[in-house]
Amino acid sequence: MAYQLYRNTTLGNSLQESLDELIQTQQITPQLALQVLLQFDKAINMALANRVRNRVNFRGSLNTYRFCDNVWTFVLNDVEFREVTDLVKVDKVKIVACDGKK
Amino acid sequence: MASSANSNPVPKLYKSVIEDVINEVRELFLDEGVDEQVLLELKTLWENKLLQSKAVEGFHTEEQAALQAAQQQQQQHQVQQVQQVQQVQQQVQQVHQVQQVNQPAQAQQVILPPQQQQAPQQQVIVQDSKILQHMSATGMSAAATAATLALPTGVTPYQQLITSQGQILQVVRAANGAQYIIQPQQQILVQQQMQPGSVQAPVIQQVLAPMQGGLSQQGVIIQPQQIVLASGNKVQGNPQAAALAQQPGQAATAQVQQVQQVQQVQGSAAPQVPAQTQAQQPPMILQADGAGDTSSEDDQDDEEEEYGEDEEEEKDKDGGEDGQVEEEPLNSSDDVSDEEDQELFDTENVVVCQYDKIHRSKNKWKFHLKDGIMNLNGRDYVFSKAIGDAEW
Repeated sequence: MAYQLYRNTTLGNSLQESLDELIQTQQITPQLALQVLLQFDKAINMALANRVRNRVNFRGSLNTYRFCDNVWTFVLNDVEFREVTDLVKVDKVKIVACDGKK
Repeated sequence: MASSANSNPVPKLYKSVIEDVINEVRELFLDEGVDEQVLLELKTLWENKLLQSKAVEGFHTEEQAALQAAQQQQQQHQVQQVQQVQQVQQQVQQVHQVQQVNQPAQAQQVILPPQQQQAPQQQVIVQDSKILQHMSATGMSAAATAATLALPTGVTPYQQLITSQGQILQVVRAANGAQYIIQPQQQILVQQQMQPGSVQAPVIQQVLAPMQGGLSQQGVIIQPQQIVLASGNKVQGNPQAAALAQQPGQAATAQVQQVQQVQQVQGSAAPQVPAQTQAQQPPMILQADGAGDTSSEDDQDDEEEEYGEDEEEEKDKDGGEDGQVEEEPLNSSDDVSDEEDQELFDTENVVVCQYDKIHRSKNKWKFHLKDGIMNLNGRDYVFSKAIGDAEW
């Protein structure tokens, strides 16, 4: 089963919200919504693995780190994310990473 | 052609994912007997929300711009419709249940222009469309808006529910996917899933289930202190503590503390009843040690020890006088983190990804990440590989 990791992203949340609205108006069942989400998990995992081809570098200071259930969670401060094209600076960022396996 | 070399891959990626998902679930929808119309509505809702979030740049720009203009007009109508919707909600729910018993094809009639001759159904249809409009747009009432603004970051409002009592509740979704319902009058966040005729017992099970199932997948952080609390307390106040323990980081620390304290009052109030008859002590909360020790028997101490620890801290603050709820403001100075101010701003910058390798030497950390989606300063980015350095 693909990671459900990406459900808490703009894309994933907007899908969940839309599904919830349809459930509210009883146009779909919760079971169907769950199936849609599972399909979303597969699709986003595949898309990220196959259709994205760019690299990012970042540097900052590590505030906290946590490793639990094979999931790393970091909080970094004063971070710069650098891509070839541009630079993004943030005061605080949370990184949640599941095991890349393979 | 240097100008076109920097095209943003995000919109294309999102569009392709949407297309993939919609096409894949088309079959599922048909199997369930759900109309294609609903599938298209799902797609539209999904794309609209993405547009509204402004996290992605330019997406079917023309179509969506027209839709956005239409939605803004709808929002103006909403305020007028809200009252009508409140009155109608009950009737609609009842009729919906009846409709579900009938063939699913009848669900179409809700959306199509009414051509039936049955008076009650016509009423329902007209009112349904209003509810649909109400539900699909994202406008909020003044009270809900105020309640929403008071929320910390990572909690985005996404839906208004209208209970059978006519209250407008704000349903929000926290960063970890847990749902909360805010009642504007209360200050405490209560986690429930609102369904018609919902009962406490299934709610608790539902609350606990996602906690177990979603742990490894979603990177949920459970802070150890809260677990001890949750397991130590009686079941009554448990789901709330357990559910709130899911919240990542210090995002909800203050609120969690508030709820914890209230729950401790509640949780300890229950075992207090028999204790009071024995000890005949006025204070509501048992204190195991320290000034103003209220416990008089060892049995009580053993029972209370597990969740007595946090109570002690609070009691010490008070000087161990009374176990009133006024401990809340007193303990707010205990909060070491100053994260709250930052949290109140727009986005919590989040990166969701997979790790290839995480390396540490002394306090130098190196991160090798892959397949990630980032939301930084409100905008979305993606990467196939990310390499980072940080000092702890």
